[in-house]
Amino acid sequence: MVRVKFFATLRDITGLREIEVKGVGNIRELLNILYEKFGDKFKREIEEKNMILVNGHNILDLEGYDTKIDEGDEVAIFPPVGGG
Amino acid sequence: MYGYWGKILRVNLSTGDISVEEFGEDFVKKWLGTRGFGIHYLLKEMDPKADAFSEENKLIFSTGALTGTTAPTGGRYMVITKSPLTGYIAMANSGGFFGAELKKAGWDMIIFEGKSDKPVYLRIEDEKVELKDASHVWGKRVGETEKILTEEFGDKHVQIASIGPAGENLVRFSAIMNNGHRAAARGGVGAVMGSKKLKAVVVRGHKRVEVIDRRKFTSVMREKTDKLKNDPVAGQGLPAYGTAILVNIINQNGLYPTRNFRYGQFEYAEEQSGEAMAKKYLKRNKPCFACPIGCGRVNDTETVGETEGPEYESTWALGANLGINDLASIIEANHLCDEYGLDTISTGGTLATAMELYDRGFLKQEDLGDAPPFRWGNTEVLHYYIPKIAKREGFGEILAEGGYRLAEKYGCVDCFMGVKKQELPAYDPRGAEGHGLGYATDNRGGDHIKAYLISPEILGYPFKMDPHDISDEKVKMLILFQDLTAVIDAAGMCVFTTFGLGGDDYRDLLNAAFGYNLTTEEWLKIGERIWNAERLFNLKAGLDPLKEDTLPKRLTDEPMPAGPNKGHVVRLKEMLPRYYALRGWNPDGTMPEEKIKELGLEEYL
Repeated sequence: MVRVKFFATLRDITGLREIEVKGVGNIRELLNILYEKFGDKFKREIEEKNMILVNGHNILDLEGYDTKIDEGDEVAIFPPVGGG
Repeated sequence: MYGYWGKILRVNLSTGDISVEEFGEDFVKKWLGTRGFGIHYLLKEMDPKADAFSEENKLIFSTGALTGTTAPTGGRYMVITKSPLTGYIAMANSGGFFGAELKKAGWDMIIFEGKSDKPVYLRIEDEKVELKDASHVWGKRVGETEKILTEEFGDKHVQIASIGPAGENLVRFSAIMNNGHRAAARGGVGAVMGSKKLKAVVVRGHKRVEVIDRRKFTSVMREKTDKLKNDPVAGQGLPAYGTAILVNIINQNGLYPTRNFRYGQFEYAEEQSGEAMAKKYLKRNKPCFACPIGCGRVNDTETVGETEGPEYESTWALGANLGINDLASIIEANHLCDEYGLDTISTGGTLATAMELYDRGFLKQEDLGDAPPFRWGNTEVLHYYIPKIAKREGFGEILAEGGYRLAEKYGCVDCFMGVKKQELPAYDPRGAEGHGLGYATDNRGGDHIKAYLISPEILGYPFKMDPHDISDEKVKMLILFQDLTAVIDAAGMCVFTTFGLGGDDYRDLLNAAFGYNLTTEEWLKIGERIWNAERLFNLKAGLDPLKEDTLPKRLTDEPMPAGPNKGHVVRLKEMLPRYYALRGWNPDGTMPEEKIKELGLEEYL
């Protein structure tokens, strides 16, 4: 079981703060499941730019969409964000 | 000349004399604006060793190159002076509408010098400039001051920059406020204003700021504005959630400083996030002059009614860093800081220092008497001590000196989390080491906004860099950010434009306004000159680089205890010598003659 947390606009689109997903091996597989479940609007929001963390580590500093996820991992997904 | 009028107001508060000086294009090409103009005059006209509260210190308000134009976010001004908090340069930036109004009145800059013996304010209506008695507003909070002075002027479009009781009482981290809630806050610039008995600058202008070719400038302006509007961060994220959107992001990334930087994650972050704020309290957005982003928040709470903010930094400083989770109390505390004219980051940082001192037994309840205990998470601390700090009453007298002096007094300098005596902002650099080098080398001390390396290290702009990479590439990126930010500041634009714009975009806007044909590298050279000139001021003020270009021991010696950055420290010792070398400085952090010559700074030696 992987715990997936949504932030900012993704909460409005999914109507959820978090879900649990079973049987995914990497981020690409997880995203495909989420795209199917939450539809085009969700996909459009994060397709080009996003921030995805696995246990607090940005996948861009890991293996990108090929970053492996294991049982018990926590994935955080943000739409493009900034501030200061 | 275009973009500027070439006109400076010089106001001697000791004698009451007001005079006009002029500058030409050479000055613009050398210094561009705001902090560039300011550092030139500070280096030229004062001994950097002079006491910040002495008559010799200057207080400079300066617009930037594009302030008052239609350039996106082109409404900013800066206050440049010697800081009473750090003892080094202070250059505090503010948005709202004051900067543009000053330019529209026909003035690019005001230099205040000397000290008045009674409270005064400066009234500007285009060419008509006069010093007026301010004894009827002395002691008043910012909101009331603005209200009274607006009524007195008889024009609701008047713009006011003023200090609250904190500045009057020389609190070392007081802000200068405009539009109620916009602050030129850091470094205690409000206290310098208070030391000069200058309560406010009130300005109304009716001129139009000219650019060389309006049609061309408008077309470049539209292109850049569209770029910002279409950018997912500047066009969507920031307008929707404001800067507090960062609460969850920085917390999830494990560098949200908690309880005075003891931890990198706060268990109640969700309750004070931008998402929570938007849901519970947000009434509407409030953009600054010419801003297509509109990150400003108007919130409504039961206790203070409609107010503005808090920004991400203030939410954190008055929340997680004190272990406080109640968002309504944080909003109220932010409102109090604005009203009394206090820098929220340093206010929070000072209270966090007190909490750590209390927790570790350095500060005892008998030192406080009946006043509330400095326990982590005690919201009473906010409501009770913020007014006490501003009025220097009771224990507020000691807090008003800032976290460093507080920690020193109670025998635990390591309890203070700051650089060059200024409290650190809302990123634990053990989770972004390049940003830590930025803290250590910032000319104005503990600060995030003069080189926001969080952008590449965490947010991925302009591209993602590993937060724990400390290679030369990272050091070079920091230097680029320092120089580019100096250009953006001097242009009078907001640094949030960097989420959608790059160096070439600022070049296009500046060239279109002035009719110049400078390259991005040539504009960046001005940024490098500004950075080095500020450094020169600090060195002349007595900066000891190897001792003071540093970080609190906690960040370099104590590994992050938990979360995604568990085990990490900032490897500052490995980065700093390379930073000096890549800056072209000496190994001891001083500046060699060749560098001074290369940047045309010989006249300031």
